[in-house]
Amino acid sequence: MKAFSAIGARVIQTLFVLWAVVTILFFLFRLMPGSPLAAYIDPNFTPEQQDALMARFGLDKPLWQQYFIYLGNLLQGDLGESFFYRTSVADRIFALLPNTLILTFSSLILAYGIGVLAGAYLAWKRGGAVEQIAIPLVLTTRAMPEFWLGMILLAVFSFSLGWFPAGGTRPPGADYPTLWSLYTSADFWRHMTLPVLTLAIYAQGLPLLLMRSNMLDVMKEDFVTMARIKGLSSYSVVIRHAARNALLPVMTSFAIAVGYQIQGNVVVETVFSWPGLGRELVRAVSASDYPLAQGAFLMIAVVVIAMNLVADLLYAVLDPRVTRE
Amino acid sequence: MNSRRPLRLRLPTHDPLALVGLGIYAVFIVVAVLAPVIAPYDPTEILFTPNYDLAADRRPGEDGFLMGTTTMGRDLFSQLVWGSRSALLIGLTAAFMVALIGSIVGVVAGYFGGWVDTILMRLADVAFGIPFLPFVIVLAAFLEPSIWNVVFAMALVLWRDTGRVIRSQTLTLRTRVYVEAARVSGSSDLKIILRHVVPNILPLSFLYGSIAIGWAILTEASISFLGFGDPKSISWGFMLQDAFASQALSKGAYYWFLPPGVLIILIVSAGFFITRGYEQILFPKLDR
Amino acid sequence: MQSLLRATAWVALTAAAGIMPAMADPIRTINLFTRPQAAQPSEYQFVELIAQEWRKLGLDVNVQVMPWEQMSEIVWFKRDQWDTTAWQMVGRPERSDPDEIVFNLFHTSTAEKGFNFIGYNNPAYDALVEKQRAELDPEARKALVREAQAILAADQPNMMLVHPKSTYVYNAAVWKPESVVDQGGIGIRNTWTYMSLDPAGDKRDIVLNSSDTVRAINPLYISGGTDSWITELLWDRLMRVGPDGLPQLWAASAFEWIDTTTIKVTLREGMKWHDGQPVTAEDVKFSFEAAGSGEAPMYGPFVRNITGIETSGNDITFKLANPSAAFLTASLAKINLIPKHIWEPVIEDQKTKDTNAESYQEATPIGSGPFKFTSWTANEEVVLSANADHFNKPKADRWILRIVPNVEAALGMLKSGEINFLADFPGDPSVLNAAAAADPNLKVVSTVDIGFRYVAFNHRRAPFNDAAFRNALSAAVDRRLIVGAAFKGFAVPSNSVVSPALAFWHNEETGKMETGVDKAKAMLAAAGYTLEGGKLHYPAGVTETLK
Repeated sequence: MKAFSAIGARVIQTLFVLWAVVTILFFLFRLMPGSPLAAYIDPNFTPEQQDALMARFGLDKPLWQQYFIYLGNLLQGDLGESFFYRTSVADRIFALLPNTLILTFSSLILAYGIGVLAGAYLAWKRGGAVEQIAIPLVLTTRAMPEFWLGMILLAVFSFSLGWFPAGGTRPPGADYPTLWSLYTSADFWRHMTLPVLTLAIYAQGLPLLLMRSNMLDVMKEDFVTMARIKGLSSYSVVIRHAARNALLPVMTSFAIAVGYQIQGNVVVETVFSWPGLGRELVRAVSASDYPLAQGAFLMIAVVVIAMNLVADLLYAVLDPRVTRE
Repeated sequence: MNSRRPLRLRLPTHDPLALVGLGIYAVFIVVAVLAPVIAPYDPTEILFTPNYDLAADRRPGEDGFLMGTTTMGRDLFSQLVWGSRSALLIGLTAAFMVALIGSIVGVVAGYFGGWVDTILMRLADVAFGIPFLPFVIVLAAFLEPSIWNVVFAMALVLWRDTGRVIRSQTLTLRTRVYVEAARVSGSSDLKIILRHVVPNILPLSFLYGSIAIGWAILTEASISFLGFGDPKSISWGFMLQDAFASQALSKGAYYWFLPPGVLIILIVSAGFFITRGYEQILFPKLDR
Repeated sequence: MQSLLRATAWVALTAAAGIMPAMADPIRTINLFTRPQAAQPSEYQFVELIAQEWRKLGLDVNVQVMPWEQMSEIVWFKRDQWDTTAWQMVGRPERSDPDEIVFNLFHTSTAEKGFNFIGYNNPAYDALVEKQRAELDPEARKALVREAQAILAADQPNMMLVHPKSTYVYNAAVWKPESVVDQGGIGIRNTWTYMSLDPAGDKRDIVLNSSDTVRAINPLYISGGTDSWITELLWDRLMRVGPDGLPQLWAASAFEWIDTTTIKVTLREGMKWHDGQPVTAEDVKFSFEAAGSGEAPMYGPFVRNITGIETSGNDITFKLANPSAAFLTASLAKINLIPKHIWEPVIEDQKTKDTNAESYQEATPIGSGPFKFTSWTANEEVVLSANADHFNKPKADRWILRIVPNVEAALGMLKSGEINFLADFPGDPSVLNAAAAADPNLKVVSTVDIGFRYVAFNHRRAPFNDAAFRNALSAAVDRRLIVGAAFKGFAVPSNSVVSPALAFWHNEETGKMETGVDKAKAMLAAAGYTLEGGKLHYPAGVTETLK
């Protein structure tokens, strides 16, 4: 019962955060200098036409009224109309979101696969020469600008060696009737290899270091010592006992990592011409397309906030100390 | 946050990696301070050869340019040298802001508790809900292009991690015997905070501040790459953006797009090395 | 002349008042706008160069970098709030007729809201360009257009810099070189090329790139440069600007001027919309009416001169308000022919709403053009396929536009064969020559553009209202430096808004311009500007009105 009310409180708190972010976003975009439509009003427009355009986008009303209209529309799933495309923001965003999500999750799954294994291995080999080299190396990958790494991978594996295509999600003119048929095609994965690699190289450091430090903590605990005394082989101790217990908190960090990663996609999507939400955000911001920028930003924020919630809930469910009690 | 051991500010002489990090920092600081002396040219000056041709795309060593020149005829070596100044400036101010704001929030929330704590921690929740890089992009696009946008955005958003950790540290401190004793003996809150709390959380602030250095430098580079940077202050991120915009990859100008990246890696990982030396926990753990 | 008048006035004034001459004010810091280097590398570079040269004259120059949207907001909508800005006129086929440029850019009537955003005001010039507009005799009109250019050269309302060379690359292993059409003033990236590209091997798809995303595919919405490549292929027009820059018959099989304000056009027989319905004279009439309906505000100006349209059989008769030499190019070759059965309900519906036809996106756009719509994947690609029923059917099978924001990647794709036509390259063109040297199949074609790059002066703000000052600033910069440094040789120096690509209209005399910092300094001194403490000051008696 207690657990349920805790979850309930956490959900309410999440809704509060969501509302706060929506509000901050709204005022952030509206209070910026200049008429939001200025870039889109054609010089040939008469003042009446300009007023009509302002009215059409609801920009003629007082700010507080606009705010409540915006909230109302949002609750109905209406994110407004893009100044730039003159079409629904929601349509645009939901067309691009799957591309961003699949990139994010694929790269994180790869990163966590590598990170967890390497982290466990490094904990096992604690104090060895491998550690002396590996730890600084891992820290270095966290210090690399992602776009720089992406460009260099592009130069080597695409421009020079020609192993992978230089951008996009599909070969020119290839026809995929559904998103599913696209995502399951070999060509799609060939296109996704370099961006996934770029993101994964950056992302593997977190699970690796977490896994390693958790392993080291767990290995100090009594039951591992007991297992050693019982004469279990070193390998079996690591795998059966330590790794399993160390893994759970690493898994909860996956959700948080999704939130961080989806922000970083903004840059990588630009490097690899990936038709995702991050690139659209950059494009919308530089074109002063407020509704679209606001919508794309909000969508990314929703993923971040949702993942924070998932992490909290997972943490409550999976925490080893909780389960052992 | 694990805090059984008391933290103290001292040189991490036990950790060779941290010493390497400190060494790297020392070199960068010297270069940054002496930039006007070391750099042969103004990093933004468009250079010409004696016969009034633009000194563009010179390779290292050609026409006396140590590291070559850009497509616009600017000296790469001078840009690298001056870039260290931008990097340190952005990194250190961002670190200072993040550590300062985070510490104040954390200490106030943790020490006073009650509704103050509730409000501040809900604010932190909201800050955790704001995607950082998109936020910087929006700010940078709306404000005048400036390297300070990154610092400003970090001050607005990234205090959240520091704030939470410092708060929980303060909570444990508050129950310590000597704090209780001070309170009973009638010391003012401000006095207790300054005398007993702040010295104990300072190493943590320092730790989070030093993580922020790397964040700031990497973020500034990303923002520059996306075209929202400040073209007037030469940073390594600006140099990379310039290189890619001028097709340095296709020209095979490795001397142009590799060094700024390597220097970013060096200074950011140096920060990580030092951080590690101070505390084995490098990244904010998820338990709070 | 102006400065002489000013000097006399000043003498009269001080004499009358009997006071000591006031100290001249120093000229304020001059702002110079440019777009970011990442988006517009050449522009950013020439701005930096120009600023450096202007500083040698004793001016404080502040280079302000801003994205296009912000820049256009200030320059277009806050016309008194900027000093100087880099600007660009792009070469479009319709601009092959000089009227749009020589009239709209400088006529007083467009100063308040239109293209004369610099606020140039010269009654003699106004009269001249009005006259050329109504002159239907080409030779007489040519003389007027050349005279207009001479006035501009003397006045320097803008600091003209270069006509860039449009530089594109195609893969000769995929396309036969003789099938590539180099359109004067436009380059090889044009509709004629796409229709005539002939496969050299078994690859039959034109795969090209754009760094910009596609906004809309809409025949009633001028939504962007890249979008117009698509509209030109999907929709026919009565005339098309030919490879020689002159309008030629297209969907029209004949035209005849009945008098100076009446033109009769005959529609080609046997044309079909992509949905199989026949193209009729009623459709043509509807297309022009839709453009002028108010629901397509961007096309409105191109039909404003039309007062009535009548049809009879395959003939369409346009009645004009004023004689217009440019009507064939600016209207008949501009308005997309659209099917009435699809757009009439849309226009009627839009009339009842706040929105207009620009907001309407057909799921499958239907035109009658040489290519049909196949698919559009957001931010990824647009696919068109050849219309086998068209009177000028393309030889290629499909036309595939890939959206590639990363310039380096676009070049990589060209080398690897992922694309076979480099249609957009905002980067350093010398890289293209290197690529072509490495792979002989890559053919680089450069064509002097109709469009031009310049620095606009704001005539509303002193000291830019002084022709002598403008002349000096313009003379301070050697255009060869701009061509060499910012455009890597892929441009020609320019001192006229009418490109040498339009040989018929271009006035060669304008090219004789002397430049150099010393010359500029001398010009400033002659006009009364002084240097004090290294800072340039206004002529005596002129005060700085702005901070």
